Amino acid sequence: MVSLIVGGAASGKSAYAENLSLGLDGRRVYVATMKPWDEECRTRIARHRARRAGHGFVTLECYHDLVTLEVPRDANVLLDCLGNLLSNEMYDHDTNATNVRLLTADVVIEGVRHLAATCQNLTVVTNEVCLGGTNYEGDTLPYLQALGRTNRTLATEADFVCEVVAGLPNVLKGARPCAC
Amino acid sequence: MMFVTGPAFAGKRTFVRQAMGWDEDELARHAVWDVQNVGPETDLTALADELATREVVIACEVGGGVVPIDATQRAQREDAGRLACLLAERAACVVRVCCGLPQVLKGELA
Repeated sequence: MVSLIVGGAASGKSAYAENLSLGLDGRRVYVATMKPWDEECRTRIARHRARRAGHGFVTLECYHDLVTLEVPRDANVLLDCLGNLLSNEMYDHDTNATNVRLLTADVVIEGVRHLAATCQNLTVVTNEVCLGGTNYEGDTLPYLQALGRTNRTLATEADFVCEVVAGLPNVLKGARPCAC
Repeated sequence: MMFVTGPAFAGKRTFVRQAMGWDEDELARHAVWDVQNVGPETDLTALADELATREVVIACEVGGGVVPIDATQRAQREDAGRLACLLAERAACVVRVCCGLPQVLKGELA
């Protein structure tokens, strides 16, 4: 069972995805994608950790190469989020190197496919960042294109796709796998 | 007229081709897209009336980011939003495409 949860910044998509994940069977595994490279990231990570506390999630950190991540076969995986993962693949904060190609999306897509094939339930959080037009300079537009491609591809393959608006689910595909 | 909207890179044209059974050439003949790129001082009502004669009109939602600092871009974004409302009023069917998935907001898919 693969679910894709999409939403804008602070739309409540992570909390919704967590609730959904809690209603699914399997050993709870949380795949964290945000590199704790400054105070703002650390604060955000702490907020998400506090929300998950007590729910029995084992946290695995994965910033790159999701395709190499090993999870148990009975795992109920929550992956949050593809926007971070793609950004990590495209831009290196330490060296300022970039790998901004549309095909970079495939690294993320293959990683999600790998998880989907090796665990029991997979819930994926992704971002809607393409509602502000296309007047961007530099590396931003290729990032938007690549994330769009990632979201479209994975939405085709997912069993359940849901957009979260103000914390509320707007189901785009499939039936809710649990009361969420 | 069917009006199709949604975020950039969401698969709007692919959806229209699949829904209508069109190839790229047929899409170009029967549909018009990127209508959100409105020129300055455009009569939006007249434009919407003209576009409503097409079979399919596709626009990208562009009003969901921060207000642009550039006045021209700001005005264009306003016009894009207003035009979308006028098109939705005139459309028999309005579809929003997100992550490649259609959601009917008005009417029914033909």
